[in-house]
Amino acid sequence: MRARPWVTGAGFLALVAVVVTISAFTFLDMHRDRPIYAGPGVTRVGKLSAYFPSLAGTGLDTDVYYLEGEAPGATVLVLGGTHPNEPGGFLAAVVLVENAVVQRGRLIVIPRANRSGFTCTDPGEGQPQVYHIPTPGGPREFTFGSRATNPVHQWPDPVVYVNRLGQQLTGSEVRNLNRSYPGSPTGYPTERLGHAIMELIRIEKPALSIDLHEASPEYPVINAIVAHPRALELAVKAAMFLELEGMDIAVEMSPATLRGLSHREWGDHTDTLALLLEAPNPSQGRLRGRTDTHLVLTGQDKFYTQAGTRNRLYVKFTERGWPLEERVGRHLQTLKVLIETYSAANRATPVVVAGFPGLVELRKNGIGAYLRPPS
Amino acid sequence: MTNLFFPEAWVFIAMVGTFLLTVFLLRQPVALALLAGSIMGAAVAGLGFPLRHLVEGAFVYLDTILIIACAMLFMRGIQASGLLETVAHHIARSLRNWPTVLLVAMMVFAMTAGMATGSSTASVLTTGAIAAQVFVTMGLDKARVGALIAIAGLLGMIAPPVNIPVMIIGGGVDMPYEGFYLPLLVLTVPTAVLAALWIGWRGIRRLGEGSNLPPSVHREYGLRLYFPLLLFVGVVVAERAFPTGFPSLGLPIAFLAAYAISPLCGRLFNPVKTAVQAIHDALPILGILVGVGTFIQVMTLTGARGMIVEAFAGLPRSLFYGSIAVSMPLFGAVSAFGSASILGVPFLLNLLGAGVIVTASSLSLFASLGDLVPPTALAGLFAAQVVGEKNYLRILARCGVPALLIAGVAVASLVGAPTLERVLTRSPALSRGLFLSGLGLGLTLLVLGLEWLKRALTRKEEP
Repeated sequence: MRARPWVTGAGFLALVAVVVTISAFTFLDMHRDRPIYAGPGVTRVGKLSAYFPSLAGTGLDTDVYYLEGEAPGATVLVLGGTHPNEPGGFLAAVVLVENAVVQRGRLIVIPRANRSGFTCTDPGEGQPQVYHIPTPGGPREFTFGSRATNPVHQWPDPVVYVNRLGQQLTGSEVRNLNRSYPGSPTGYPTERLGHAIMELIRIEKPALSIDLHEASPEYPVINAIVAHPRALELAVKAAMFLELEGMDIAVEMSPATLRGLSHREWGDHTDTLALLLEAPNPSQGRLRGRTDTHLVLTGQDKFYTQAGTRNRLYVKFTERGWPLEERVGRHLQTLKVLIETYSAANRATPVVVAGFPGLVELRKNGIGAYLRPPS
Repeated sequence: MTNLFFPEAWVFIAMVGTFLLTVFLLRQPVALALLAGSIMGAAVAGLGFPLRHLVEGAFVYLDTILIIACAMLFMRGIQASGLLETVAHHIARSLRNWPTVLLVAMMVFAMTAGMATGSSTASVLTTGAIAAQVFVTMGLDKARVGALIAIAGLLGMIAPPVNIPVMIIGGGVDMPYEGFYLPLLVLTVPTAVLAALWIGWRGIRRLGEGSNLPPSVHREYGLRLYFPLLLFVGVVVAERAFPTGFPSLGLPIAFLAAYAISPLCGRLFNPVKTAVQAIHDALPILGILVGVGTFIQVMTLTGARGMIVEAFAGLPRSLFYGSIAVSMPLFGAVSAFGSASILGVPFLLNLLGAGVIVTASSLSLFASLGDLVPPTALAGLFAAQVVGEKNYLRILARCGVPALLIAGVAVASLVGAPTLERVLTRSPALSRGLFLSGLGLGLTLLVLGLEWLKRALTRKEEP
């Protein structure tokens, strides 16, 4: 005997309701901010909405950490988490907040630049929702997010996204913070976020603004500093010092035709020296194999190793992979050298920051040694 | 090395095997079979029952699902109001003595919605549906009509101004969507003309004075009959022309708004009943997209996707073009946009150098062919819906030669990308003009020559 259609329909709807209810817990849990602990150098914690009030109370408002030195000097802005699926950039900013102490000048850090992106993962990418970093006091949990703003906070996407400067992009890029600059006070929520960051730069006048990213190993711009033309000299000098220290790094000039990116628009629309750092992250690449927390933490992947042996990647890739501590270490080391190089050239307004680890320390001790234990 | 593709290959075999078994042996719908394959894949990979991934995967094509559902409503709405037949009536009447020209003109017309929206589905269900009425009037059978609008949808999706696969590929290598219009026009319009002639020319006939044209209800309802179509076009054009001034409503809202006013503009119909029927018709395809989403999610999670990308992208140079020609359409069966993102980007990275704009354009052509590959075969499935053909494989069979033509154009432009790009984007205006004029003239002569031949043959057949 066949069931009546309404019985089948009701049964199916009930099944869907059960599945949605059970799975909702895991999705909703991503909306909980995993704590970032203010370190000894943090003098105050504010909100990005202080620079653009209409952001207040939305899923896009985010914490801004101020680390102020006793002696005067220039300001450096550091952004992590522009793309929350690039954990190296985010964790470098977290390590900075939890460890750095500024002696001269000021450091402003936004670890979760696109906080909304930390509340979901990209459908179809099969990435883990959370990963854990062991610390001496127990594991710290962080969310592995999406490249873009959560559709819960901004949806639907247009067919084609035309940036405020006329750059045409595929519709989903409308939720990509690093395509939204210089932003707009009345545009899409992600454009408003971009506008808020621009306002912060205009008001706080950082001499140096650095956006921390990661890229897939098959992407041509990798292990690199991308510099606005005005910041090119600084980037080249810093790269030379890094090479002398044994760290390979390339310098790329921000292309004038590619609009909406931080390294271009921060520099074009404000006086800051705009830079973007890239490190290799196989967990966001297209060639990656099994996608899990092991891949996120170790950066080891057999398909990438194979592609590396055949010189099909833009970065050296061996069985050792690209562990997270290596990627975070590269960012922090580059940051350190950029700040030192800037200060050497601007003796009247230097920035002196101590207390945060570089590549050697991270290789030796791991990231967990520089994260506060969970409380 | 020998173990490189294992255990991922076992996972993939288990997924595909379960899918085939569920469809052909258990006779279950494709959507459920895809879900079963996903569950099996996760189990074989030792991941148990990954509920979160299955739910998340179901959302991969949410936007596409909404566009398709709303486009179906729109199509059924303008069909019920009489607009579809009226527009077809006017076009067929104005070119009734020029069947070959009408065939080609309707092919290009059928492409326009795809050009504006970047979606083959929107193309098939809107301008494709109108063109289908004219093609039927010209004497073509359902399979040929379906093939014509399916190919028009495919090429419309790739033709400028909106080519989403190119935007996706470009986004993966930070290449701006600039300088693509001319190469994309050169790759798509002549191909569309040749495809139309191949599929339709032999079957078309001249429409005489007494021809049985589709009925027009223009006299009864006047200009208001066209309001739904004008509203849809207006919203899409305004959104594209004033991206910062006009609110982004998206295609689903544009389709829904046009559907909402349809019963007030032409023949009265019950909008709820028609909507229920439209969704009922679209449901199997919408289900397939949900299933495909979970399939992709589990393939990525388990590493099966990476294995496929590495297997194709890692082939030696001598086999490289062949691997593109096979893998991109095959992966496009899952989604043309997915194919562009997952395979198009690594392929373009391997081919970086001279002619990058034409290379990306060629890759997008390959990706578009996925819309003709079962089980999804979106263009074929929707073309079947439009023409009322129950077996969409008949339509796909008619698309065979044009699909090979598209693949041939894509391969040729891929191989000759540096030269073609030099001619189309960097050569002096005079030589570029000569090239384009030659191409245009050649196509015009071909169409007019065939028109003359058709008339001669028709005269011979007439008593």
